[in-house]
Amino acid sequence: MLRFAAIACFLLFAPTAQASAAAIVGKPAPAFDAIDASGELIRLDAFKGKYVVLEWVNFECPFVGKHYGSGNMQELQKRYTEKGVVWLSICSSAPGKQGHVTGEEAKELVTEREAVPTRFLLDPEGILGKKYGAKTTPHIFVINPKGVLVYNGAIDDRPSTKRADIKGAKNYLTAALESTMAGKKVEIAATQPYGCSVKY
Amino acid sequence: MASKLRQSAVWPVAAGVLLTWATACLAGATGRSENIDVALLSERVSVQPGQPFRVGLHMKMKRGWHTYWKHPGDAGLPLRIDWTLPPGFKAGAIEWPAPEPIPTGELMSYGYGHEVLLAVTITPPARVTADLVTIAGAFDWLECKEACLAGSAQLDVTLPVRSEPPRPGPSAPLFDRARARLPRSPEGWSLAATAGPRAIELRFRPPSGVRPNGGTFFVDEPLVVEYAAPQGFKRSSGWYRLTLVPAANAANPPRRLTGVLVLDGLDRRKGSTIVVNVEALSGDPTPAPAQSPRRNWPRVPLYATLVALIGIVVVAALMRRAARR
Repeated sequence: MLRFAAIACFLLFAPTAQASAAAIVGKPAPAFDAIDASGELIRLDAFKGKYVVLEWVNFECPFVGKHYGSGNMQELQKRYTEKGVVWLSICSSAPGKQGHVTGEEAKELVTEREAVPTRFLLDPEGILGKKYGAKTTPHIFVINPKGVLVYNGAIDDRPSTKRADIKGAKNYLTAALESTMAGKKVEIAATQPYGCSVKY
Repeated sequence: MASKLRQSAVWPVAAGVLLTWATACLAGATGRSENIDVALLSERVSVQPGQPFRVGLHMKMKRGWHTYWKHPGDAGLPLRIDWTLPPGFKAGAIEWPAPEPIPTGELMSYGYGHEVLLAVTITPPARVTADLVTIAGAFDWLECKEACLAGSAQLDVTLPVRSEPPRPGPSAPLFDRARARLPRSPEGWSLAATAGPRAIELRFRPPSGVRPNGGTFFVDEPLVVEYAAPQGFKRSSGWYRLTLVPAANAANPPRRLTGVLVLDGLDRRKGSTIVVNVEALSGDPTPAPAQSPRRNWPRVPLYATLVALIGIVVVAALMRRAARR
């Protein structure tokens, strides 16, 4: 009986494991595979040799609304995918939580917003999000053709939900992509992302 | 004569209307977002030229909702105020009371979960010609429960200008309470910090007789610590060590450590919320033992744990009885 009680006590009081995985700038970007909105399996490895942008999204979050409502995000997607950059929008909202989407809903929302990501990845279990330490929507990561993470952080330097703040903001994503695509070192490689918490 | 009488009667009536109106204004204009009741309040009932006074945004959250501290932690956004003041009036910075830790899943935010008064000191010019002044502002904030919504309100408060020192109004106790939660730099405390690859260590020595039994450091700069990681706490020979996990993506260890230290088990008057603004020496401190996760547990589990323990004993007794048969 004592042993039984001891085990039960251990189970009750055992500390929960602390998940602190994160994508570190200058290190290889964590490998992943995920299902996209069309049900296709997408592997990060498949994009070796290309620049890759990861954009965490939750269409019901007001910070995401700022960048999509103003057309800012779509404009960035268009500008860089035309230059051969792979743009992956990722939704890690768990079922029942804010911003959760099925593949069909994701496709609809993307079309409605005239967004043009290369793929829209579904991560309802938050596996991909936790692997990268995605904290907010939006949260931006940039990976170079060698598979090394060169940027992790905010989209720009104006943490707000106001569309008027986009003009005149320093866009960290643009700065990181322009530098790395010109073969230069990304000057501001890590910033604190701002937005709604990812709804794991 | 009749017209004169009528005229003289107009004034008391007008004054009465004005007084009623002014009193209503003193109570502060209120607004409401979906989940938070907001009101702009004044600590005092009138304004004396040249004498600073405080107004504050009082926010009362619906159950489960929260707003954010000046540094929101992993996610969130602090309040932003755009003031419209009478000529010559100046507004100071928001006086942020110490925040509460707000864990949401994997993440940790810093904010306010029940109610908060965010006060601002307004300084009028030495000469004010108007009889009434209106302090107005556009307030923008983020309110979150599971989901996040942008909240905003246009609020104002009108106060009479009087030459005598203003007396406290009905909202004064709220301002007193907020003041008690403001971080301070009390006498007799020593603080120091060391930053290394494994841990960032905040060392402090309180005045004799002051013995905290735990604490939380709320950093106010981005990319310094991992907000959600447990903080270590250890006492050794008069000094206390509080250790933090460095931010995974920080380019370099911090050169200064700034924020607020909130200590457990102390009377507020002995200083339980301490301003931290110290140089961080370079070194390699070891992480102190993590504090018991009790602070991160919801309040129910203590009760639930007791019930579970009783359950275990009962089940074990039943099993033993069954085994005997």
